[in-house]
Amino acid sequence: MTDQTHRKDVVVIGLGNPLLSDEGIGVHLIRKLSEHQDKFPSVEFIDAGTGGMNVLHLIANRKKAVIIDCVKMGKKPGTIKRFEPADVKTTKKMMHFSLHEADILRIIAISRQLGECPDQIVIFGIEPESLELGQNLSKTLSNGIDAYLDDICNELC
Amino acid sequence: MHNNLDINVHHITRVEGHGNIVVNVKEGKIEKLQWQVPEAPRFFEAMVRGHSYQDIQTIVSRICGICSITHSLAATKAVEAALGIKVSEQADKLRILMHYSEQLQSHTLHVGYLAAPDFFGTPSVVPLVARAADAVKTIVKAHRIANGWSDLIAGRTTHPVTLIPGGLTRTPTEKQLRELQQTLKNAVPDLKKIAEVVLSVAGNVPKFERPTEYVSLKQTTPPTYTFYHGGITSNDNKGAALPIEKWHDVTNEYMVEQSTAKWAKWHRDAYAVGALARFNNNAELLSPMAKGAAKMFGLQKGCCNPYMNTVAQLVECFHIVETSIDLIDQLLTKGLKTEKVISTPKAGKGAGCVEAPRGILFHEYEFDKKGNCVAADICIPTNQNHANIQKDFEKLLPEILDQSEKDIRLKLEMLVRAYDPCISCSTHFLDVQFVR
Repeated sequence: MTDQTHRKDVVVIGLGNPLLSDEGIGVHLIRKLSEHQDKFPSVEFIDAGTGGMNVLHLIANRKKAVIIDCVKMGKKPGTIKRFEPADVKTTKKMMHFSLHEADILRIIAISRQLGECPDQIVIFGIEPESLELGQNLSKTLSNGIDAYLDDICNELC
Repeated sequence: MHNNLDINVHHITRVEGHGNIVVNVKEGKIEKLQWQVPEAPRFFEAMVRGHSYQDIQTIVSRICGICSITHSLAATKAVEAALGIKVSEQADKLRILMHYSEQLQSHTLHVGYLAAPDFFGTPSVVPLVARAADAVKTIVKAHRIANGWSDLIAGRTTHPVTLIPGGLTRTPTEKQLRELQQTLKNAVPDLKKIAEVVLSVAGNVPKFERPTEYVSLKQTTPPTYTFYHGGITSNDNKGAALPIEKWHDVTNEYMVEQSTAKWAKWHRDAYAVGALARFNNNAELLSPMAKGAAKMFGLQKGCCNPYMNTVAQLVECFHIVETSIDLIDQLLTKGLKTEKVISTPKAGKGAGCVEAPRGILFHEYEFDKKGNCVAADICIPTNQNHANIQKDFEKLLPEILDQSEKDIRLKLEMLVRAYDPCISCSTHFLDVQFVR
């Protein structure tokens, strides 16, 4: 069983669906970051895929959470932007028809209300170029991988 | 009675996957009433072609973030059927245990985060935390237990990594299983608390009935309230169960103008799958605590109120926990062994079926002699429910047309929520605008 009392202080969560090209950038980056686990002993890297509300539990009672996701920000495709929840407002329309919808900003709001939200939450949003069906990233995002990893690793140092 | 009514619950911003409710009433006459699913086709079936039989369950686990274990299990069973791979009794039991963990994850999420806000009269779970903090905290605790349980057996909360054709890559230790068993025993009072809270607002569950066909798995040897083994049955099939290979004879998928998702029908013009279908076909096989929970809510076999699907899910939570406690006893009594799994590729075709939290799920694959996939066919429970939702709408609307527009809209939305359709799990989680 996952023991919440012995968790690492920092969690890095990659979100997205790697079957929809750039939609899976968070998962692709977590796979790369996990290869460097020995450099970050107090950090847990988690591929959370499209687990939605499960993020609530993954961030609970940590000191810091870093979330990596494909984000529509109206920027040039391939752009990576570091922001915190207070820097943005959601423009996502929720139907509340299904559990399959999720909005990380709302999950963070619930976490705060429950009194278990990390002191710091950082989101690395990467603007997608393609959300077509396919297991490969677009060339634009693929070429940016090393730079994205540098930005995220700097955040963890 | 409304002379004119125009409801259009429309999702305009999503890239992929959404559902719309459209109601037009003119001069007291219903001109248009549709449950529309203009979902972009996903072509997951095309995506697995060319891949090895050993990789299928990993790829399809990404179809859905809520039912990823279920998709992986259905795929693995189909691969094993195609290649004639046998699974040990221990691996079979551990897989069932893994499957239960996802059922509990999904059911607690559905009851707590999706349905409870309706029952309490709040627009979503966010304001519900302030209104009913204790209840939400109990739900979160139960959901967290289910997630930890999936971590232990599936290797991850979502998108499992321990499943392979022929068995599992990892066996939990006796100590881990004992801890899990104790956690589940400790969870029973929480489940009772959740049931009491839901019961306290159960008066807000709409009174609506429409007899329909209920389709689910049925297991006779031994008789079990099944999510994993057995054949396909329905209340229209006189208790008989079809072998899984005959699933196309059940789903009879077809296209309709109002939806890009396929619809399904068997003996009638629509059928329902999910917790209420399982309950209606197998209720007498529920665990004692689950039977007690059903009695508490007055849920009886033959119930045809689709809104009661949520209550059926809650009843199943008790069954899942009680049965899993027993299943762990069985595993520990027999003694856990480290099992080596070996499989060899060959040509073949096979179907696999399990009950997803929201209903029966079919996977079918064909492989060439090298074990590479040459054809795939997947039928998800949500598609099997679309026609039934439409038929529910058609009976419901005339019965509530004298209510306020707000209430009509809410009841239609609640109906869709009761089915918890899987229509949008593949999209990204953030659309934002910078404010500073």
